[in-house]
Amino acid sequence: MSYAYLFKYIIIGDTGVGKSCLLLQFTDKRFQPVHDLTIGVEFGARMITIDNKPIKLQIWDTAGQESFRSITRSYYRGAAGALLVYDITRRETFNHLASWLEDARQHANANMTIMLIGNKCDLAHRRAVSTEEGEQFAKEHGLIFMEASAKTAQNVEEAFINTAGTIYKKIQDGVFDVSNESYGIKVGYGGIPGPSGGRDGSTSQAGGCCS
Amino acid sequence: MHETDIHDLSDDADYAAASQQGSSSMTRTDSSKQSSSGDPEDSEIVYLKDNVTIHPTQYAAERISGRLKLIKQGSSLFMTWIPYKGQSSNARLSDKNLYTIRALPFSDIQSIRRHTPTIGWQYVIVVSSGLAFPPLYFYSGGVREFLAIIKQHVLIVRSSEDANLFLVNNFQDPLQRTLSSLELPGSLANRTPLSSGTPSDGSLENKHTSEDGHLRSIQRNNKQRQKSHDPARDISIQVLEKFSLVTRFARETTSQLFREGLVDGHGPNEKKRSNWASKDHQSQGMASNDMEIVPKKVPVPSDPLEFDKLSLVWGQPRQHPLGFQEWSTFLDTEGRVVDPTALKKRIFYGGVDHNLRKEVWAFLLGYYSYDSTYAEREYFVSVKKSEYETIKNQWQSISPEQAKRFTKFRERKGLIDKDVVRTDRSLTFYEGDDNPNVRVMHDILLTYSFYNFDLGYCQGMSDLLSPILFIMKDESEAFWCFVSLLERLGPNFNRDQSGMHSQLFALSKLVELLDSPLHNYFKQNDCLNYFFCFRWILIQFKREFEYEKTMRLWEVLWTHYPSEHLHLYMCIAILKRHRAKIMGEQMDFDTLLKFINELSGQIDLDPIIRDAEALCVCAGENGAASIPPGTPPSLPIEDSSIYYQQDEEVL
Repeated sequence: MSYAYLFKYIIIGDTGVGKSCLLLQFTDKRFQPVHDLTIGVEFGARMITIDNKPIKLQIWDTAGQESFRSITRSYYRGAAGALLVYDITRRETFNHLASWLEDARQHANANMTIMLIGNKCDLAHRRAVSTEEGEQFAKEHGLIFMEASAKTAQNVEEAFINTAGTIYKKIQDGVFDVSNESYGIKVGYGGIPGPSGGRDGSTSQAGGCCS
Repeated sequence: MHETDIHDLSDDADYAAASQQGSSSMTRTDSSKQSSSGDPEDSEIVYLKDNVTIHPTQYAAERISGRLKLIKQGSSLFMTWIPYKGQSSNARLSDKNLYTIRALPFSDIQSIRRHTPTIGWQYVIVVSSGLAFPPLYFYSGGVREFLAIIKQHVLIVRSSEDANLFLVNNFQDPLQRTLSSLELPGSLANRTPLSSGTPSDGSLENKHTSEDGHLRSIQRNNKQRQKSHDPARDISIQVLEKFSLVTRFARETTSQLFREGLVDGHGPNEKKRSNWASKDHQSQGMASNDMEIVPKKVPVPSDPLEFDKLSLVWGQPRQHPLGFQEWSTFLDTEGRVVDPTALKKRIFYGGVDHNLRKEVWAFLLGYYSYDSTYAEREYFVSVKKSEYETIKNQWQSISPEQAKRFTKFRERKGLIDKDVVRTDRSLTFYEGDDNPNVRVMHDILLTYSFYNFDLGYCQGMSDLLSPILFIMKDESEAFWCFVSLLERLGPNFNRDQSGMHSQLFALSKLVELLDSPLHNYFKQNDCLNYFFCFRWILIQFKREFEYEKTMRLWEVLWTHYPSEHLHLYMCIAILKRHRAKIMGEQMDFDTLLKFINELSGQIDLDPIIRDAEALCVCAGENGAASIPPGTPPSLPIEDSSIYYQQDEEVL
């Protein structure tokens, strides 16, 4: 399927916070609790539409365990967006956010858009991190924030699409030189080849998943 | 096999002495002077050895035995190898003729390389006019003597690069002689091209020239580096030999196929062969029997090993799995494995029948000692069971109050809790809520993290445990087999990833050795960290194959038969199968990683094992030398039986 832009996303965060489940919910619109744990990295992709332009999201779902950090770091290269995920029912996954953020800042390009996601918000009765704390952390570090549930699909669509919207706006504003692929953006048919450019009549509409 | 050949450690000294004295004392029984009607007149047989054998490639059992002779005629030395007539062998007659070496003059021979595999017979590869003859296996020993006799009659110089490579030459030019005394392998490339004496036609001249050119550039490099030993360079010569062997083999076999109209009867490789044959056929139309490489559609540097043909020559076909009846033949009356090496070899080529795995895996993993009896094992198992219970009890006795003050324990337990419910749950054995096997897996992993507290628990371990528990069923036995496996693979889970990095590094060295264009491609594209092979190595391809195939692969790998690092050759075999696509499509790191990930479930196991074996044999000692010592799964103790005995002493 042709696209105007392709954005590379990376999903990071502690093991077991629901990274793979968020991806599966977004690409396949289903929740699979018995998903095999991720070794290395898994890939997903989906087309979305922003401003009438088809945009392909290529999403890298990484392994969360601490030991694999040295490998995971090599995946940041050329990512346009990151979903930094914690589990609202496990305090320690929130406590580790700073170190994840440090990794991201160090190994990704400076203009990477980061979305902070407090996952498992359906488990409100077991909540260990308040929404305010999440908001506060996001504000302090200049991140977009949302609580979501891969299980109920609440805010999952929004998390991925809002991130894409922010990236798209950065393109419009000329923040990126999109011809430089290290920003994690590839220009396809109907995309704007430079910071400024006209709109075209691309009508390709999106939905479903592809790879 | 003669003992002198197995333990041929004194060779260096012997060689030096013999070349100085020109000793004739080494002419022994086998080389007694005799002549036969079949040999030219006034010729003298200076060496004769029976049971020198060639292994053609299609069948493991297929071999052609013959008589190797060195014949002196005037001042010239000739080598002949004539297959036995009427020998009961399943080799085709045409093959016998194909391989026959008739009066090969030593003036045409460039080098002789001696190989001493750790398992199997010593063999030599003779290179003549840029072509390597198939390896000659000395079933009755005699390699050393063979070389000793040769050096009595022709000038033969040991390569300074490789103690097993002997450069053969008749030097007339005094300058050449001086050069050769410096032991520069340049003498090899400086030879004038030869026009006769090869069993094949002269159509390889072009290739020949480029090989020589290649060789020269290698030698330039060699001269620069002097003493430092870089196996990646040394192998170039060896690979070259094997390459030429493969090429020649390919040419002759295909032309043979066409001549005889043989299409059928080549087993699992039939399809591959026929593709290859038709490719060759096209070029035959242009020049008789000319093996010019057919240009590829995308400008991809060709594989220096002509890999698609390699496994035909070096890899052996897979066999059926080891079954109960055959298994019993490996055991003596009290249950000892009489010949562990033969057993491992058998399993390497065919795997193990599923119902036999429980018993055989315990040996392969080193949980059972090969020389233990039925009774000893029964006792051993019961002792180990109580030992397991003791370790398990260490964490079971931790009270909630204690756990509160034991962060490390809580963390580990939490990780394991989360991971066991995410491991192979689609298998019947592990599926469903409150599955007792998931509970057992949890307990084993947590017990292991106490048994080896330093290593603890790391993701990927549950993937390794899953098939073991599935086979062993018993909790204690699964635990101890898992312990044995992690004796080998534990470093994969080092916190600093050192075990993984050392394997990825070894992999890059091996690719440099076996496919330098691909290596250069990875280098140029910033892919030399080989992270795209991370999952393959970490959990031994578990996510790349279906469950049954994974178990088959693992038992093959556990034999350590051609190499304990066969998994690295597996990686190369898979990469080589896709090298044209990888380079042709100019994949960058991201694309490559995604591409490799998506190969999961698409890899055909048996051909890859065969390719890996071929690569491993082809890389030989230089391959082994490319892998730094201590690269996992190298065992800290060579002999697992020592490990076992130590365990017993503790008890």
